[in-house]
Amino acid sequence: MYNLHLTAEQLEIRDTVRDFVAQEIKPIALKSARLEAGDRRFPPEIFDKASQMGLRTLSLSEALGGAGVDNLTSCIVTEELAAGDVDFATVLAETSTLGHKLFDQAMTPEQRARFLPQFLADDRYHLAWADHEPDNEADSALGIHYHRPERTAVAVKTTATRQSNGDWVVNGIKNFVANAPLAKLIAVQVRTDPNASGANGVSTLLVTPGTPGLTIKEHDTASAWYHGTRGELVFKDCRIAAADLLGAEGASPIGTDVVGRGIPQFEALNLGIGRAAYEAAIDYAKLRIQGGRPIIEHQAIGTLLAEIAIKLDVARNTVWQAAWASDHPDVYADRSLSGLPLETVARVFTSEIVHQVALDAAECFGAMGVMRDMPMHKYVRDALICLHSGNGNSDAKLRIAEGVAGYRR
Amino acid sequence: MDFSLTEEQREWQMKARKFAAEVLRPVSLERDRIQDPIKTWDWDIIRQGSKLGFRTMAVPKQYGGEGTDFVTQSLVMTELARGDSAMSKAFSQNWKWSHLISAVCSDEQKERFLKAFLADDTFVMGKGITEPNAGSDNRLPPADAPKAGFRLRAERKGDEWILNGEKCFIANANVGKLFFIDARTNPDVGIKQGTTMFLVPRDTPGFRSGKVFNKNGWRFYQNAEMIFENARVPHANVVGEVNGGVKKGSDDTTGGDLFGDLELASNALGVCDAACESALRHARTQTQGGKPLFEQQQIQLKLNRMHMLTEALRSFVMRIAWEHDKKMHTTNPGLAMHFSSDAIQEVTQLNMDIHGGAGYTMDAGADKLVRDGIIWTHLANDAVQRMRTARRLAK
Repeated sequence: MYNLHLTAEQLEIRDTVRDFVAQEIKPIALKSARLEAGDRRFPPEIFDKASQMGLRTLSLSEALGGAGVDNLTSCIVTEELAAGDVDFATVLAETSTLGHKLFDQAMTPEQRARFLPQFLADDRYHLAWADHEPDNEADSALGIHYHRPERTAVAVKTTATRQSNGDWVVNGIKNFVANAPLAKLIAVQVRTDPNASGANGVSTLLVTPGTPGLTIKEHDTASAWYHGTRGELVFKDCRIAAADLLGAEGASPIGTDVVGRGIPQFEALNLGIGRAAYEAAIDYAKLRIQGGRPIIEHQAIGTLLAEIAIKLDVARNTVWQAAWASDHPDVYADRSLSGLPLETVARVFTSEIVHQVALDAAECFGAMGVMRDMPMHKYVRDALICLHSGNGNSDAKLRIAEGVAGYRR
Repeated sequence: MDFSLTEEQREWQMKARKFAAEVLRPVSLERDRIQDPIKTWDWDIIRQGSKLGFRTMAVPKQYGGEGTDFVTQSLVMTELARGDSAMSKAFSQNWKWSHLISAVCSDEQKERFLKAFLADDTFVMGKGITEPNAGSDNRLPPADAPKAGFRLRAERKGDEWILNGEKCFIANANVGKLFFIDARTNPDVGIKQGTTMFLVPRDTPGFRSGKVFNKNGWRFYQNAEMIFENARVPHANVVGEVNGGVKKGSDDTTGGDLFGDLELASNALGVCDAACESALRHARTQTQGGKPLFEQQQIQLKLNRMHMLTEALRSFVMRIAWEHDKKMHTTNPGLAMHFSSDAIQEVTQLNMDIHGGAGYTMDAGADKLVRDGIIWTHLANDAVQRMRTARRLAK
């Protein structure tokens, strides 16, 4: 069976979001002054509108009050939003994905009763997952340990110490936490067993901003090499109630996706950047007249646009395949799909081609392609950020290589 | 065949290397970070470089300049670009027009303008061709649209020409003291037949510079609008013949166009050198899993490719510089310029890649080199430039 039909519902959601992007997002995203200042923030009123459309609670189950869409639909929506503004899309994708993980999958009914009503009622209620710590990359990279057994696991250095009444006292620093500056509920990875190593002995605690002992600071956006908004969390003897332990002690319920087979949200965001560049180039190529006719009528530009179209279409296939596989993990088990880590495959391919797409699309604009008050340079930068964030593609290829080699740690 | 440099060439190279390392490199990132595109410029850098001869080195000795050959000019551009690509361009931009003045201006014009240029450390020049609706059309005038191309109009009135129109993206437009301006003197024919080139000093009545463009790379280098509202230029400032401007400028085998190709290729080489240096340093000093990055095969392969492209570019650049000195007229300068654009993109990208894997931060220097490199796509290697070189091949 091979079926590429989207459902009527998926098509409708896509059209609705595309319309929202055209009406509400692009007029703001494309403002010269905003582009020139490198301002990546969006007015909260637009987030409110997106929330009222159900985009903030898109993945939360219908039973709990969300739209309950699958991962594929969620990635389709993310691509559409990112084609309008990648930073806006990043914030919503994070909250939507975490909404399902936290409320549907990880919380107890008691925790749900405490947090869900506010989450549903407040259009500005965002979620964050605090995993990253300073100097994480050196630990999490495969790099020199490729195909070698002696690999150290990611160290969680933030500690939570159990008090006599069952409460936890947390100390440590998390940084570059997505959505931290906006979030009203944060799930924090903490080490509850100082003697365990790696993922063992790591638990998740729920914390709300304003808790004494917790300071949240937004990272300097001028040099930000990420999308959306990220912040630093400093815990200093921060007391968290026993009731806010998420899942079991020493067994965090978050971040347990099989490596390389998660939801390709990052890849969908990346694809959206390529789409934005592509669409801008087509519009301009139809409008700009040189050589006596619109430049799209010249072979050089026509071929360039065709190559861009091919690349984006193939990339979308890799993203949708990874998304569909994350909705139906049995496709790996029944050998319908290869055993490759498909999300990682999609990540490498999409980031490499979207970078090329953004550069080629910018070329169509001549000198305007490098001006800060025009959008093309931003698409190039956004594509570079995707290409070189996290541990990077070189590391991703090593992970795929270990899979190809059948290497098991 | 002999690849060795003369003592004089070597001296210029060393002088430029020292200036780049001691003066340009230390302020490069700080200038790049300034948000306001007008404030990235620094007269002090121009003055210091000028006193060392970097502003005037292309003026022939007979007119009082340094009279360096093209090999020397290429070496110096590369060394300066290693410190800061845009600063190197800010100096070499003047050489382009020094060549043009020497090649096509009358003795009287040389006397008037070269003397002033040589005497003033802050005298910089530019040339205005591009207009909002005429970019590619100027470089590759379409056969089926004879009226395509720039529209700036010049009409004769007695001993003066009256200029009306605007130019955009013009180098040094807001800081320069003298400009070459291509204007239509016969609007009824194509630009090849109906253009005259004028020397337009800064204080020309009716001329002013407008918006300064906010580029994402080459931040130090200034590009601005030029606005002509009944600007009055004396007939004595016509370069060459009336309706002969474009031909004069681009047929010349040393100045204008062909120097521009060598210029961009040599500058790109300096950026590639800077990227290689940065990547190698990072690979040696940064560790992962307790070992220098350099020990990883992936890193070695990237470093190899960066150096391979850079050294291939160096060979190509030196060859076209040598060909210029031998007055050989080939398509190699164009081809070298296109190659330099491919090389600079890939080499600066690989440098960023080697600096990558750092999570949510990026080395500011690696980022700058990539942004400077992208400028080449929009200047040296778009389809129009490549087709233009191809058409020279078929001639």
